[in-house]
Amino acid sequence: MSTNGDVTVKVVPVRHVGRYVSGAVALVIIAMVVHTIFSKLPTGQYACHGAAPHRSCHPKTEWRFSWDVIRHYFFSAEVFHGVEITLALTVFSMLLGIIIGLTLAVMRMSPNRLLSATAWTYTWFFRGTPVYVQLLLWFNISAIYPQLSLGIPFTSWTFVHINAVNLFNPFRAALMGLALNEGAYMSEIARAGLISVDEGQIEAASSVGLTRRQTLRLVVVPQAMRVIIPPTGNEIISMLKTSSLASVVSVVDTLGAATNIYSQNYLVIPLLLTASLWYLLWTTVLSSGQFYVERHFARGSLRTPPPTPIQRLRADVIGIARKFRPVHDVGVAS
Amino acid sequence: MTLMVEAKGVCKAYGGLEVLKGVDLNVARGEVTCLIGPSGSGKSTLLRCVNHLEKHDAGELRVDGELVGYELRGDKLYELNDRQICAKRSQIGMVFQRFNLFAHLTVLENVTLGQMKVKGRSQEAATAKARELLARVGLDAKERSYPSQLSGGQQQRVAIARALAMEPKLMLFDEPTSALDPELVGEVLDVMKDLARSGMTMMVVTHEMNFAREVADTVYFLDAGVIEESGDPRTILTAPRSERLKLFLSKVL
Repeated sequence: MSTNGDVTVKVVPVRHVGRYVSGAVALVIIAMVVHTIFSKLPTGQYACHGAAPHRSCHPKTEWRFSWDVIRHYFFSAEVFHGVEITLALTVFSMLLGIIIGLTLAVMRMSPNRLLSATAWTYTWFFRGTPVYVQLLLWFNISAIYPQLSLGIPFTSWTFVHINAVNLFNPFRAALMGLALNEGAYMSEIARAGLISVDEGQIEAASSVGLTRRQTLRLVVVPQAMRVIIPPTGNEIISMLKTSSLASVVSVVDTLGAATNIYSQNYLVIPLLLTASLWYLLWTTVLSSGQFYVERHFARGSLRTPPPTPIQRLRADVIGIARKFRPVHDVGVAS
Repeated sequence: MTLMVEAKGVCKAYGGLEVLKGVDLNVARGEVTCLIGPSGSGKSTLLRCVNHLEKHDAGELRVDGELVGYELRGDKLYELNDRQICAKRSQIGMVFQRFNLFAHLTVLENVTLGQMKVKGRSQEAATAKARELLARVGLDAKERSYPSQLSGGQQQRVAIARALAMEPKLMLFDEPTSALDPELVGEVLDVMKDLARSGMTMMVVTHEMNFAREVADTVYFLDAGVIEESGDPRTILTAPRSERLKLFLSKVL
Protein backbone atom coordinates (compact mmCIF):
# COMPACT_ATOMS: atom_id res chain seq x y z
CA MET A 1 0.00 0.00 0.00
CA SER A 2 1.17 3.50 -0.69
CA THR A 3 -0.13 6.86 0.41
CA ASN A 4 -1.02 9.70 -1.92
CA GLY A 5 -1.53 12.72 0.27
CA ASP A 6 -4.19 11.66 2.74
CA VAL A 7 -5.74 9.06 0.44
CA THR A 8 -4.48 5.47 0.67
CA VAL A 9 -4.02 3.98 -2.81
CA LYS A 10 -3.75 0.25 -3.49
CA VAL A 11 -0.74 -0.82 -5.59
CA VAL A 12 -1.57 -3.46 -8.22
CA PRO A 13 1.53 -5.44 -9.26
CA VAL A 14 2.04 -6.35 -12.97
CA ARG A 15 0.50 -9.72 -13.89
CA HIS A 16 3.04 -11.92 -15.64
CA VAL A 17 0.63 -14.04 -17.73
CA GLY A 18 3.44 -15.54 -19.84
CA ARG A 19 5.18 -16.80 -16.71
CA TYR A 20 2.08 -18.59 -15.48
CA VAL A 21 1.49 -20.27 -18.87
CA SER A 22 5.09 -21.42 -19.32
CA GLY A 23 5.12 -22.56 -15.68
CA ALA A 24 2.05 -24.69 -16.28
CA VAL A 25 3.60 -26.25 -19.41
CA ALA A 26 6.78 -27.06 -17.47
CA LEU A 27 4.72 -28.61 -14.68
CA VAL A 28 2.91 -30.91 -17.14
CA ILE A 29 6.20 -32.03 -18.72
CA ILE A 30 7.76 -32.72 -15.29
CA ALA A 31 4.68 -34.78 -14.33
CA MET A 32 4.98 -36.81 -17.55
CA VAL A 33 8.68 -37.51 -16.99
CA VAL A 34 8.20 -38.57 -13.36
CA HIS A 35 5.24 -40.73 -14.37
CA THR A 36 7.12 -42.59 -17.08
CA ILE A 37 10.18 -43.12 -14.86
CA PHE A 38 8.03 -44.81 -12.22
CA SER A 39 5.55 -46.54 -14.59
CA LYS A 40 5.03 -50.30 -14.81
CA LEU A 41 4.77 -52.58 -17.85
CA PRO A 42 2.67 -55.80 -18.24
CA THR A 43 4.92 -58.85 -18.56
CA GLY A 44 2.33 -60.95 -20.44
CA GLN A 45 2.23 -63.39 -17.52
CA TYR A 46 -0.49 -63.81 -14.94
CA ALA A 47 -0.28 -64.32 -11.22
CA CYS A 48 -3.02 -66.56 -9.84
CA HIS A 49 -4.19 -67.26 -6.29
CA GLY A 50 -6.48 -69.86 -4.70
CA ALA A 51 -7.88 -73.24 -5.79
CA ALA A 52 -10.12 -74.14 -8.77
CA PRO A 53 -13.55 -72.64 -8.10
CA HIS A 54 -12.26 -69.48 -6.36
CA ARG A 55 -9.12 -69.07 -8.40
CA SER A 56 -8.39 -65.40 -9.27
CA CYS A 57 -5.78 -64.19 -11.76
CA HIS A 58 -4.35 -60.76 -12.55
CA PRO A 59 -1.64 -59.64 -15.02
CA LYS A 60 1.90 -59.45 -13.64
CA THR A 61 3.73 -56.13 -14.10
CA GLU A 62 7.28 -54.86 -13.68
CA TRP A 63 8.99 -51.44 -13.49
CA ARG A 64 9.64 -49.95 -16.93
CA PHE A 65 13.04 -48.76 -15.59
CA SER A 66 13.73 -52.06 -13.77
CA TRP A 67 14.33 -50.33 -10.47
CA ASP A 68 14.68 -53.63 -8.64
CA VAL A 69 17.48 -54.72 -11.03
CA ILE A 70 19.18 -51.33 -10.70
CA ARG A 71 19.01 -51.55 -6.90
CA HIS A 72 20.56 -54.99 -7.01
CA TYR A 73 23.49 -53.99 -9.22
CA PHE A 74 23.99 -50.49 -7.78
CA PHE A 75 25.57 -51.98 -4.67
CA SER A 76 27.11 -55.07 -6.29
CA ALA A 77 30.81 -55.68 -5.65
CA GLU A 78 31.71 -55.54 -9.35
CA VAL A 79 30.09 -52.12 -9.95
CA PHE A 80 31.50 -50.85 -6.66
CA HIS A 81 35.01 -51.77 -7.75
CA GLY A 82 34.37 -50.07 -11.09
CA VAL A 83 33.37 -46.86 -9.28
CA GLU A 84 36.62 -47.00 -7.30
CA ILE A 85 38.59 -47.23 -10.55
CA THR A 86 36.64 -44.28 -12.02
CA LEU A 87 37.43 -42.14 -8.97
CA ALA A 88 41.09 -43.17 -8.97
CA LEU A 89 41.40 -42.34 -12.69
CA THR A 90 39.68 -38.97 -12.18
CA VAL A 91 41.72 -37.91 -9.13
CA PHE A 92 45.14 -39.01 -10.40
CA SER A 93 44.72 -37.84 -13.98
CA MET A 94 43.48 -34.43 -12.77
CA LEU A 95 46.36 -34.09 -10.29
CA LEU A 96 48.89 -34.94 -13.00
CA GLY A 97 47.00 -32.77 -15.49
CA ILE A 98 47.08 -29.76 -13.16
CA ILE A 99 50.83 -30.17 -12.53
CA ILE A 100 51.51 -30.51 -16.27
CA GLY A 101 49.18 -27.59 -17.01
CA LEU A 102 50.79 -25.21 -14.49
CA THR A 103 54.26 -26.12 -15.75
CA LEU A 104 53.21 -25.53 -19.36
CA ALA A 105 51.55 -22.21 -18.47
CA VAL A 106 54.70 -20.92 -16.77
CA MET A 107 56.75 -22.19 -19.75
CA ARG A 108 54.42 -20.44 -22.20
CA MET A 109 54.97 -17.14 -20.37
CA SER A 110 58.75 -17.57 -20.15
CA PRO A 111 60.92 -15.03 -22.00
CA ASN A 112 62.85 -18.06 -23.35
CA ARG A 113 61.39 -18.60 -26.83
CA LEU A 114 62.39 -22.28 -26.97
CA LEU A 115 60.48 -23.03 -23.74
CA SER A 116 57.36 -21.16 -24.83
CA ALA A 117 57.42 -22.80 -28.27
CA THR A 118 57.74 -26.25 -26.65
CA ALA A 119 54.72 -25.60 -24.46
CA TRP A 120 52.76 -24.29 -27.43
CA THR A 121 53.57 -27.41 -29.50
CA TYR A 122 52.51 -29.71 -26.65
CA THR A 123 49.15 -27.99 -26.37
CA TRP A 124 48.76 -28.01 -30.16
CA PHE A 125 49.26 -31.78 -30.35
CA PHE A 126 47.26 -32.91 -27.33
CA ARG A 127 44.33 -30.57 -27.96
CA GLY A 128 44.35 -31.37 -31.66
CA THR A 129 43.84 -35.14 -31.41
CA PRO A 130 40.88 -37.00 -29.84
CA VAL A 131 41.38 -38.42 -26.32
CA TYR A 132 39.99 -41.72 -27.61
CA VAL A 133 42.87 -41.96 -30.09
CA GLN A 134 45.42 -40.90 -27.46
CA LEU A 135 44.25 -43.64 -25.08
CA LEU A 136 44.59 -46.28 -27.79
CA LEU A 137 48.04 -44.91 -28.67
CA TRP A 138 49.35 -45.27 -25.11
CA PHE A 139 47.79 -48.70 -24.78
CA ASN A 140 49.60 -49.87 -27.93
CA ILE A 141 52.83 -47.91 -27.46
CA SER A 142 54.80 -51.09 -26.76
CA ALA A 143 54.44 -51.92 -30.48
CA ILE A 144 57.02 -49.26 -31.34
CA TYR A 145 58.83 -49.01 -27.95
CA PRO A 146 59.04 -52.58 -26.61
CA GLN A 147 61.83 -51.56 -24.17
CA LEU A 148 62.09 -48.32 -22.24
CA SER A 149 65.45 -47.39 -20.68
CA LEU A 150 66.71 -44.65 -18.41
CA GLY A 151 70.20 -43.40 -19.22
CA ILE A 152 72.22 -40.60 -20.75
CA PRO A 153 70.71 -39.40 -24.05
CA PHE A 154 72.55 -40.33 -27.28
CA THR A 155 75.00 -42.66 -25.48
CA SER A 156 74.90 -46.37 -24.74
CA TRP A 157 74.90 -45.66 -20.98
CA THR A 158 71.67 -46.91 -19.46
CA PHE A 159 70.74 -47.66 -15.87
CA VAL A 160 67.19 -49.04 -15.89
CA HIS A 161 65.28 -51.14 -18.41
CA ILE A 162 61.51 -51.51 -18.31
CA ASN A 163 59.30 -53.68 -20.42
CA ALA A 164 56.74 -51.33 -22.00
CA VAL A 165 53.97 -53.93 -21.97
CA ASN A 166 54.31 -54.19 -18.19
CA LEU A 167 54.62 -50.45 -17.68
CA PHE A 168 51.59 -49.60 -19.78
CA ASN A 169 49.04 -51.91 -18.27
CA PRO A 170 45.47 -50.83 -19.09
CA PHE A 171 45.08 -48.60 -15.99
CA ARG A 172 48.41 -46.81 -16.45
CA ALA A 173 47.84 -46.36 -20.19
CA ALA A 174 44.45 -44.79 -19.49
CA LEU A 175 45.88 -42.61 -16.71
CA MET A 176 48.72 -41.47 -18.96
CA GLY A 177 46.41 -40.66 -21.85
CA LEU A 178 43.89 -38.78 -19.74
CA ALA A 179 46.54 -36.83 -17.77
CA LEU A 180 48.59 -35.75 -20.80
CA ASN A 181 45.47 -34.66 -22.62
CA GLU A 182 44.16 -32.83 -19.56
CA GLY A 183 47.51 -31.05 -19.15
CA ALA A 184 46.98 -29.31 -22.48
CA TYR A 185 43.58 -27.95 -21.43
CA MET A 186 44.74 -27.06 -17.91
CA SER A 187 47.67 -25.07 -19.32
CA GLU A 188 45.28 -22.74 -21.12
CA ILE A 189 43.16 -22.35 -17.98
CA ALA A 190 46.21 -21.69 -15.80
CA ARG A 191 47.61 -19.21 -18.31
CA ALA A 192 44.36 -17.26 -18.40
CA GLY A 193 44.47 -17.12 -14.60
CA LEU A 194 48.08 -15.95 -14.42
CA ILE A 195 47.48 -13.26 -17.06
CA SER A 196 44.42 -11.98 -15.17
CA VAL A 197 46.53 -10.82 -12.20
CA ASP A 198 47.20 -7.07 -12.37
CA GLU A 199 50.75 -6.03 -13.32
CA GLY A 200 50.74 -3.67 -10.32
CA GLN A 201 50.57 -6.64 -7.94
CA ILE A 202 53.81 -7.99 -9.39
CA GLU A 203 55.50 -4.55 -9.17
CA ALA A 204 54.37 -4.15 -5.57
CA ALA A 205 55.74 -7.60 -4.72
CA SER A 206 59.12 -6.78 -6.31
CA SER A 207 59.26 -3.41 -4.57
CA VAL A 208 58.89 -5.19 -1.22
CA GLY A 209 61.86 -7.34 -2.24
CA LEU A 210 60.16 -10.64 -3.07
CA THR A 211 62.04 -12.68 -5.67
CA ARG A 212 60.35 -13.65 -8.93
CA ARG A 213 59.64 -17.15 -7.61
CA GLN A 214 58.20 -15.84 -4.31
CA THR A 215 56.07 -13.35 -6.21
CA LEU A 216 54.63 -16.13 -8.35
CA ARG A 217 53.93 -18.40 -5.37
CA LEU A 218 52.74 -15.86 -2.77
CA VAL A 219 51.06 -13.15 -4.84
CA VAL A 220 50.26 -14.22 -8.40
CA VAL A 221 49.08 -17.84 -8.03
CA PRO A 222 46.74 -17.24 -5.05
CA GLN A 223 45.02 -14.45 -6.98
CA ALA A 224 44.98 -16.42 -10.23
CA MET A 225 43.15 -19.22 -8.39
CA ARG A 226 39.94 -17.18 -8.39
CA VAL A 227 39.99 -17.33 -12.19
CA ILE A 228 41.42 -20.85 -12.41
CA ILE A 229 39.08 -22.67 -9.98
CA PRO A 230 35.69 -22.48 -11.78
CA PRO A 231 36.89 -23.91 -15.12
CA THR A 232 39.03 -26.47 -13.24
CA GLY A 233 35.91 -27.64 -11.41
CA ASN A 234 34.27 -28.11 -14.78
CA GLU A 235 37.32 -30.03 -15.97
CA ILE A 236 37.15 -32.39 -12.97
CA ILE A 237 33.46 -33.08 -13.59
CA SER A 238 34.14 -33.53 -17.28
CA MET A 239 37.07 -35.85 -16.47
CA LEU A 240 34.86 -38.04 -14.28
CA LYS A 241 32.79 -38.78 -17.37
CA THR A 242 35.64 -38.78 -19.92
CA SER A 243 37.36 -41.45 -17.80
CA SER A 244 34.64 -43.84 -19.02
CA LEU A 245 36.63 -43.95 -22.29
CA ALA A 246 39.16 -46.02 -20.33
CA SER A 247 36.87 -49.00 -20.92
CA VAL A 248 38.12 -49.04 -24.55
CA VAL A 249 41.57 -50.03 -23.29
CA SER A 250 39.90 -52.76 -21.19
CA VAL A 251 39.98 -50.91 -17.86
CA VAL A 252 37.06 -52.12 -15.73
CA ASP A 253 35.75 -48.75 -14.52
CA THR A 254 32.10 -47.96 -13.75
CA LEU A 255 31.04 -48.28 -17.37
CA GLY A 256 33.38 -51.25 -17.91
CA ALA A 257 31.80 -53.10 -14.99
CA ALA A 258 28.30 -52.38 -16.33
CA THR A 259 29.12 -53.62 -19.84
CA ASN A 260 30.81 -56.74 -18.45
CA ILE A 261 27.64 -57.59 -16.53
CA TYR A 262 25.15 -56.89 -19.31
CA SER A 263 27.16 -58.82 -21.88
CA GLN A 264 26.34 -61.87 -19.77
CA ASN A 265 22.72 -61.24 -18.73
CA TYR A 266 21.52 -58.86 -21.51
CA LEU A 267 20.04 -56.41 -18.96
CA VAL A 268 21.51 -53.57 -21.04
CA ILE A 269 19.31 -50.62 -20.05
CA PRO A 270 19.21 -51.29 -16.27
CA LEU A 271 23.00 -51.57 -16.12
CA LEU A 272 23.58 -48.45 -18.21
CA LEU A 273 21.19 -46.66 -15.84
CA THR A 274 23.10 -48.04 -12.85
CA ALA A 275 26.33 -46.60 -14.27
CA SER A 276 24.59 -43.27 -15.04
CA LEU A 277 23.31 -43.00 -11.48
CA TRP A 278 26.82 -43.48 -10.11
CA TYR A 279 28.16 -40.77 -12.43
CA LEU A 280 25.31 -38.45 -11.42
CA LEU A 281 25.98 -39.07 -7.74
CA TRP A 282 29.64 -38.11 -8.02
CA THR A 283 29.09 -35.08 -10.27
CA THR A 284 26.61 -33.82 -7.66
CA VAL A 285 29.18 -34.26 -4.89
CA LEU A 286 31.87 -32.52 -6.98
CA SER A 287 29.65 -29.59 -7.98
CA SER A 288 28.74 -28.80 -4.39
CA GLY A 289 32.42 -29.04 -3.41
CA GLN A 290 33.27 -26.66 -6.25
CA PHE A 291 30.88 -24.04 -4.84
CA TYR A 292 32.65 -23.90 -1.47
CA VAL A 293 36.15 -23.88 -2.98
CA GLU A 294 35.18 -20.96 -5.26
CA ARG A 295 33.78 -19.12 -2.26
CA HIS A 296 37.07 -19.60 -0.39
CA PHE A 297 39.25 -18.23 -3.19
CA ALA A 298 36.94 -15.26 -3.82
CA ARG A 299 38.03 -13.74 -0.48
CA GLY A 300 39.27 -10.20 -0.84
CA SER A 301 37.66 -9.74 -4.25
CA LEU A 302 34.04 -9.56 -3.11
CA ARG A 303 32.78 -7.34 -0.32
CA THR A 304 30.18 -9.93 0.69
CA PRO A 305 30.61 -13.62 -0.25
CA PRO A 306 27.69 -15.23 -2.12
CA PRO A 307 25.20 -17.08 0.11
CA THR A 308 25.58 -20.84 0.53
CA PRO A 309 22.71 -22.95 -0.87
CA ILE A 310 21.36 -23.42 2.66
CA GLN A 311 21.39 -19.67 3.31
CA ARG A 312 19.68 -19.08 -0.04
CA LEU A 313 17.03 -21.72 0.68
CA ARG A 314 16.27 -20.10 4.03
CA ALA A 315 15.99 -16.66 2.39
CA ASP A 316 13.64 -18.12 -0.25
CA VAL A 317 11.42 -19.76 2.35
CA ILE A 318 11.23 -16.54 4.37
CA GLY A 319 10.49 -14.58 1.16
CA ILE A 320 7.64 -16.91 0.15
CA ALA A 321 6.24 -16.87 3.69
CA ARG A 322 6.21 -13.03 3.57
CA LYS A 323 4.38 -13.10 0.23
CA PHE A 324 1.50 -15.11 1.68
CA ARG A 325 1.12 -13.00 4.79
CA PRO A 326 -2.03 -10.81 5.04
CA VAL A 327 -1.91 -7.56 3.03
CA HIS A 328 -1.86 -5.14 5.97
CA ASP A 329 1.54 -6.49 7.03
CA VAL A 330 3.13 -5.84 3.62
CA GLY A 331 2.73 -2.08 3.72
CA VAL A 332 4.33 -1.69 7.14
CA ALA A 333 7.85 -1.26 5.78
CA SER A 334 6.94 1.83 3.71
CA MET B 1 76.58 15.23 3.79
CA THR B 2 76.49 11.93 1.88
CA LEU B 3 74.17 11.36 -1.04
CA MET B 4 71.36 8.78 -0.95
CA VAL B 5 70.56 8.95 -4.67
CA GLU B 6 72.98 10.10 -7.31
CA ALA B 7 72.06 10.16 -11.02
CA LYS B 8 74.47 11.16 -13.77
CA GLY B 9 73.29 11.32 -17.37
CA VAL B 10 70.59 8.68 -16.89
CA CYS B 11 68.90 7.71 -20.17
CA LYS B 12 65.94 5.45 -20.84
CA ALA B 13 64.09 4.69 -24.08
CA TYR B 14 61.10 2.49 -24.81
CA GLY B 15 61.58 1.24 -28.35
CA GLY B 16 62.35 4.44 -30.23
CA LEU B 17 60.79 6.76 -27.66
CA GLU B 18 63.36 8.51 -25.45
CA VAL B 19 61.79 9.10 -22.05
CA LEU B 20 64.87 10.17 -20.13
CA LYS B 21 67.56 12.06 -22.02
CA GLY B 22 70.45 12.36 -19.57
CA VAL B 23 69.11 13.23 -16.14
CA ASP B 24 71.40 14.50 -13.36
CA LEU B 25 69.98 14.51 -9.87
CA ASN B 26 71.17 14.32 -6.26
CA VAL B 27 69.18 13.44 -3.18
CA ALA B 28 70.91 13.97 0.14
CA ARG B 29 70.31 11.73 3.15
CA GLY B 30 67.25 12.82 5.14
CA GLU B 31 66.07 15.17 2.38
CA VAL B 32 62.67 15.30 0.72
CA THR B 33 62.88 15.72 -3.05
CA CYS B 34 59.83 16.42 -5.19
CA LEU B 35 59.73 15.72 -8.91
CA ILE B 36 57.21 17.81 -10.81
CA GLY B 37 56.43 18.20 -14.47
CA PRO B 38 53.81 17.54 -17.14
CA SER B 39 52.66 13.98 -17.77
CA GLY B 40 55.01 12.05 -20.03
CA SER B 41 57.97 14.11 -18.86
CA GLY B 42 59.71 11.04 -17.41
CA LYS B 43 59.24 11.64 -13.65
CA SER B 44 57.72 8.23 -12.92
CA THR B 45 60.24 6.47 -15.16
CA LEU B 46 63.10 8.09 -13.26
CA LEU B 47 61.60 6.97 -9.96
CA ARG B 48 61.14 3.41 -11.25
CA CYS B 49 64.76 3.32 -12.42
CA VAL B 50 65.90 4.12 -8.86
CA ASN B 51 64.63 0.76 -7.54
CA HIS B 52 65.30 -1.00 -10.84
CA LEU B 53 61.68 -1.69 -11.78
CA GLU B 54 62.91 -0.22 -15.08
CA LYS B 55 66.41 -0.79 -16.40
CA HIS B 56 68.15 2.44 -17.42
CA ASP B 57 69.97 2.28 -20.75
CA ALA B 58 72.87 4.64 -20.09
CA GLY B 59 74.34 6.84 -17.40
CA GLU B 60 75.20 6.15 -13.81
CA LEU B 61 72.66 5.65 -11.06
CA ARG B 62 73.72 5.09 -7.47
CA VAL B 63 71.67 4.49 -4.32
CA ASP B 64 73.57 4.89 -1.04
CA GLY B 65 76.82 4.83 -2.99
CA GLU B 66 76.10 1.53 -4.77
CA LEU B 67 75.27 1.14 -8.46
CA VAL B 68 71.65 0.20 -9.22
CA GLY B 69 71.32 -3.17 -10.98
CA TYR B 70 75.04 -3.64 -11.63
CA GLU B 71 78.26 -4.30 -9.84
CA LEU B 72 81.59 -2.84 -10.89
CA ARG B 73 84.42 -5.38 -10.64
CA GLY B 74 87.71 -4.38 -12.24
CA ASP B 75 86.76 -2.52 -15.41
CA LYS B 76 83.57 -4.48 -16.12
CA LEU B 77 79.94 -3.97 -15.08
CA TYR B 78 78.28 -7.20 -14.00
CA GLU B 79 74.48 -7.34 -14.09
CA LEU B 80 73.08 -8.42 -10.72
CA ASN B 81 70.90 -11.52 -10.50
CA ASP B 82 67.26 -11.59 -9.35
CA ARG B 83 68.15 -12.39 -5.73
CA GLN B 84 70.72 -9.57 -5.43
CA ILE B 85 68.38 -7.03 -7.02
CA CYS B 86 65.57 -8.08 -4.67
CA ALA B 87 67.82 -7.72 -1.63
CA LYS B 88 68.60 -4.13 -2.67
CA ARG B 89 64.97 -3.35 -3.51
CA SER B 90 63.87 -4.42 -0.06
CA GLN B 91 65.82 -1.44 1.33
CA ILE B 92 63.87 0.98 -0.89
CA GLY B 93 60.17 1.44 -0.14
CA MET B 94 57.79 2.28 -2.96
CA VAL B 95 54.26 3.65 -2.92
CA PHE B 96 52.25 3.46 -6.13
CA GLN B 97 49.60 5.66 -7.69
CA ARG B 98 47.13 2.74 -7.76
CA PHE B 99 48.06 1.49 -4.23
CA ASN B 100 48.69 -2.11 -5.48
CA LEU B 101 47.86 -3.72 -2.14
CA PHE B 102 47.85 -7.52 -2.34
CA ALA B 103 44.14 -8.07 -3.01
CA HIS B 104 43.95 -11.59 -1.55
CA LEU B 105 45.53 -10.65 1.79
CA THR B 106 44.14 -8.73 4.76
CA VAL B 107 45.59 -5.37 5.76
CA LEU B 108 47.72 -7.04 8.44
CA GLU B 109 48.97 -9.76 6.08
CA ASN B 110 49.86 -7.09 3.49
CA VAL B 111 52.19 -5.47 6.02
CA THR B 112 53.69 -8.71 7.39
CA LEU B 113 54.31 -10.61 4.10
CA GLY B 114 57.56 -8.88 3.14
CA GLN B 115 58.86 -8.85 6.72
CA MET B 116 58.45 -12.61 7.02
CA LYS B 117 59.46 -13.71 3.51
CA VAL B 118 62.25 -11.21 2.79
CA LYS B 119 63.54 -10.19 6.23
CA GLY B 120 62.89 -13.61 7.75
CA ARG B 121 61.12 -12.21 10.82
CA SER B 122 58.91 -14.45 12.93
CA GLN B 123 55.15 -14.08 12.65
CA GLU B 124 54.98 -12.49 16.14
CA ALA B 125 57.72 -9.94 15.43
CA ALA B 126 56.22 -9.08 12.03
CA THR B 127 52.73 -8.70 13.48
CA ALA B 128 53.98 -6.47 16.30
CA LYS B 129 55.84 -4.25 13.81
CA ALA B 130 52.81 -4.17 11.49
CA ARG B 131 50.44 -3.17 14.31
CA GLU B 132 52.82 -0.36 15.36
CA LEU B 133 52.95 0.99 11.79
CA LEU B 134 49.21 0.63 11.20
CA ALA B 135 48.64 2.64 14.37
CA ARG B 136 51.06 5.25 13.06
CA VAL B 137 48.99 5.66 9.83
CA GLY B 138 45.77 5.54 11.87
CA LEU B 139 44.46 2.19 10.62
CA ASP B 140 45.01 -0.17 13.54
CA ALA B 141 41.25 -0.85 13.64
CA LYS B 142 41.23 -2.16 10.05
CA GLU B 143 43.84 -4.92 10.26
CA ARG B 144 41.38 -7.70 9.45
CA SER B 145 39.83 -5.90 6.43
CA TYR B 146 40.62 -6.76 2.83
CA PRO B 147 41.86 -3.92 0.57
CA SER B 148 38.60 -3.88 -1.42
CA GLN B 149 36.75 -2.96 1.77
CA LEU B 150 38.82 0.21 2.31
CA SER B 151 38.60 3.70 0.79
CA GLY B 152 41.38 4.84 -1.53
CA GLY B 153 42.95 6.98 1.18
CA GLN B 154 42.96 4.10 3.64
CA GLN B 155 44.47 1.76 1.04
CA GLN B 156 47.25 4.22 0.32
CA ARG B 157 48.04 4.58 4.03
CA VAL B 158 48.25 0.76 4.31
CA ALA B 159 50.58 0.80 1.28
CA ILE B 160 52.82 3.29 3.11
CA ALA B 161 52.81 1.07 6.22
CA ARG B 162 53.68 -1.95 4.03
CA ALA B 163 56.69 -0.09 2.60
CA LEU B 164 57.82 1.19 6.03
CA ALA B 165 57.66 -2.32 7.51
CA MET B 166 60.77 -3.19 5.51
CA GLU B 167 62.63 -0.36 7.33
CA PRO B 168 63.77 1.27 4.09
CA LYS B 169 66.52 3.84 3.89
CA LEU B 170 64.72 5.57 1.02
CA MET B 171 61.03 5.94 0.19
CA LEU B 172 59.75 6.49 -3.36
CA PHE B 173 56.27 7.89 -3.94
CA ASP B 174 54.83 7.66 -7.47
CA GLU B 175 51.93 10.16 -7.61
CA PRO B 176 50.54 8.81 -4.32
CA THR B 177 47.45 11.04 -4.30
CA SER B 178 46.56 11.16 -8.02
CA ALA B 179 44.03 8.29 -7.84
CA LEU B 180 42.29 9.64 -4.75
CA ASP B 181 39.03 11.51 -4.33
CA PRO B 182 39.86 15.13 -3.39
CA GLU B 183 38.62 14.82 0.19
CA LEU B 184 40.93 11.83 0.81
CA VAL B 185 44.14 13.52 -0.40
CA GLY B 186 44.74 15.27 2.93
CA GLU B 187 44.92 12.11 5.07
CA VAL B 188 47.64 10.63 2.84
CA LEU B 189 49.64 13.88 2.67
CA ASP B 190 49.49 14.15 6.47
CA VAL B 191 51.09 10.73 6.83
CA MET B 192 53.77 11.73 4.31
CA LYS B 193 54.49 15.01 6.12
CA ASP B 194 54.82 13.11 9.38
CA LEU B 195 57.25 10.74 7.69
CA ALA B 196 59.28 13.65 6.31
CA ARG B 197 59.53 15.20 9.78
CA SER B 198 60.87 11.92 11.15
CA GLY B 199 63.90 12.32 8.86
CA MET B 200 63.06 9.75 6.13
CA THR B 201 64.75 10.30 2.77
CA MET B 202 61.96 10.66 0.25
CA MET B 203 61.57 11.07 -3.51
CA VAL B 204 58.06 12.15 -4.40
CA VAL B 205 56.55 12.44 -7.87
CA THR B 206 53.59 14.72 -7.31
CA HIS B 207 51.13 17.23 -8.68
CA GLU B 208 50.47 18.64 -5.20
CA MET B 209 52.32 21.95 -5.40
CA ASN B 210 51.37 22.94 -1.86
CA PHE B 211 52.93 19.73 -0.54
CA ALA B 212 56.08 20.41 -2.56
CA ARG B 213 56.31 23.97 -1.26
CA GLU B 214 55.68 22.99 2.34
CA VAL B 215 57.69 19.77 2.71
CA ALA B 216 60.31 19.51 -0.05
CA ASP B 217 63.93 20.50 0.47
CA THR B 218 64.55 20.42 -3.29
CA VAL B 219 62.18 20.46 -6.26
CA TYR B 220 63.16 19.15 -9.70
CA PHE B 221 61.10 20.19 -12.72
CA LEU B 222 61.27 17.62 -15.53
CA ASP B 223 60.13 18.30 -19.04
CA ALA B 224 60.55 16.06 -22.09
CA GLY B 225 63.08 13.82 -20.35
CA VAL B 226 65.46 16.48 -19.02
CA ILE B 227 65.71 18.44 -15.79
CA GLU B 228 64.63 21.90 -16.83
CA GLU B 229 65.04 23.62 -13.47
CA SER B 230 65.74 22.67 -9.88
CA GLY B 231 66.24 24.26 -6.51
CA ASP B 232 64.64 25.41 -3.30
CA PRO B 233 60.82 25.11 -3.62
CA ARG B 234 60.08 28.66 -2.46
CA THR B 235 62.40 30.06 -5.11
CA ILE B 236 61.52 27.96 -8.12
CA LEU B 237 57.78 27.73 -7.48
CA THR B 238 57.36 31.47 -6.90
CA ALA B 239 60.02 32.85 -9.21
CA PRO B 240 60.58 30.34 -12.01
CA ARG B 241 63.32 31.24 -14.46
CA SER B 242 62.51 28.98 -17.41
CA GLU B 243 59.56 29.65 -19.71
CA ARG B 244 58.44 26.01 -19.55
CA LEU B 245 58.18 26.00 -15.76
CA LYS B 246 56.30 29.30 -15.89
CA LEU B 247 53.85 27.76 -18.37
CA PHE B 248 53.51 24.56 -16.29
CA LEU B 249 52.90 26.45 -13.04
CA SER B 250 50.32 28.69 -14.70
CA LYS B 251 48.37 25.54 -15.54
CA VAL B 252 48.57 23.71 -12.22
CA LEU B 253 48.43 26.52 -9.67
